[in-house]
Amino acid sequence: MNDIKETLKKALIKELKLEDVNPQDIEDDAPLFGEGLGLDSLDAIELVVLVQRHFGLSMQDQEEARLAFASVNALSAYIEARLAC
Amino acid sequence: MTSLSSSPRQPCSRVTVGWTSRSLGSRLQHAVFYRLIAVGGRKAAYALLFPVVLLFTFKQEVIRRSAPYLQHRFPGSGHFDRWRRRRRLLWEFGKTLVDRAVAGITGEFGVETDQRELDTIFELHKENIGLIMLSSHIGAWQMSMSVLPDCLPVPVSVVLYRDPGDLDRHYFDHAGKAPAFSVIDPSGGMSSALAMVQTLQKGGILCMMGDRLFGNSQECRAPFLGEAVSLPYTPYYLASVTGAPIVVFFSPRVGPGKVRNIIVDVIRVPSGLGKTPAAYEPYARRFAEAMEKRVRINPYQFFNFFNLWEQPPSRRSRQTETA
Repeated sequence: MNDIKETLKKALIKELKLEDVNPQDIEDDAPLFGEGLGLDSLDAIELVVLVQRHFGLSMQDQEEARLAFASVNALSAYIEARLAC
Repeated sequence: MTSLSSSPRQPCSRVTVGWTSRSLGSRLQHAVFYRLIAVGGRKAAYALLFPVVLLFTFKQEVIRRSAPYLQHRFPGSGHFDRWRRRRRLLWEFGKTLVDRAVAGITGEFGVETDQRELDTIFELHKENIGLIMLSSHIGAWQMSMSVLPDCLPVPVSVVLYRDPGDLDRHYFDHAGKAPAFSVIDPSGGMSSALAMVQTLQKGGILCMMGDRLFGNSQECRAPFLGEAVSLPYTPYYLASVTGAPIVVFFSPRVGPGKVRNIIVDVIRVPSGLGKTPAAYEPYARRFAEAMEKRVRINPYQFFNFFNLWEQPPSRRSRQTETA
């Protein structure tokens, strides 16, 4: 789980070009969108592609994706569960 | 019309930028036309349309909303010439609306697509990374999109915004059944974004309009009919992130109830361009060039009744800040 979180944070920084942000700056339970990391709806597009590129998972269900995008914790739990299937 | 919020902590609002999807006609006027089509068919509706168009050419609201395009497309026109061109524009627009209603009420309409154009779509679809079909408010674009699901057995989504309280009915509203494609409301923020990217990930077709801004979107500037306009950058951003090619197509009306799909360009946007609108301007320029060529061929089928050349408030405020 921690490996996934670490990979995810590094991917977020690289793919979303988050400037002056280190993996340790991203809190596990902070919201990714809005007040937390400050991502917007365009970043959601990039996130879906990121999950596919780095973890080989296609996020086809919109509601599932919305829930998974709540935080790093939620997204890594989603990825772990999907990889276990 | 297709844009999503790209400013952190600024949710996409239900605000169109300079344009409205609301019809100028009243509920009664719409109902009369729909009833007439059901009883007398297309010709009867065209007959009623003629005097209605004539009356509308003198409406201040219509004059104001049609002037920016006509002035750019036909600069230097005199008073009578402007009226004549306004009448032609409204006449074509009216016939397109009648055709759309006829398609919904009686099911009569035809979309012509050359085999060569279909082959282009088939070839691009083989890449299995989805397809962005980018068009403009030229001709009968909604009718043309309705046949896309017949071309390829893949999911088709159309990004379509409707102002609350809009009386104008789409062809599928008349038919009383779900359209052949799924509709994505661009005002949905993250939901809209997810729906768009998921359509592409399924290898599907995503139809978008490249000529209208929506919400808090950032924009690309591109010359169109001699002056810069603001165009949404979402289609090019989506293409960059997902790798999906953009097929630029237009759907001019070619006769009563007849539309022709014309593919004019295939745009490939490289990945890794980030979120700076300027990076996407070369692609928006290609779209604007294609749109200009098309309105030179079909000058009275460009249905953007607002000032496309007016800078959106976001850009004006940025300029004020930097001044």
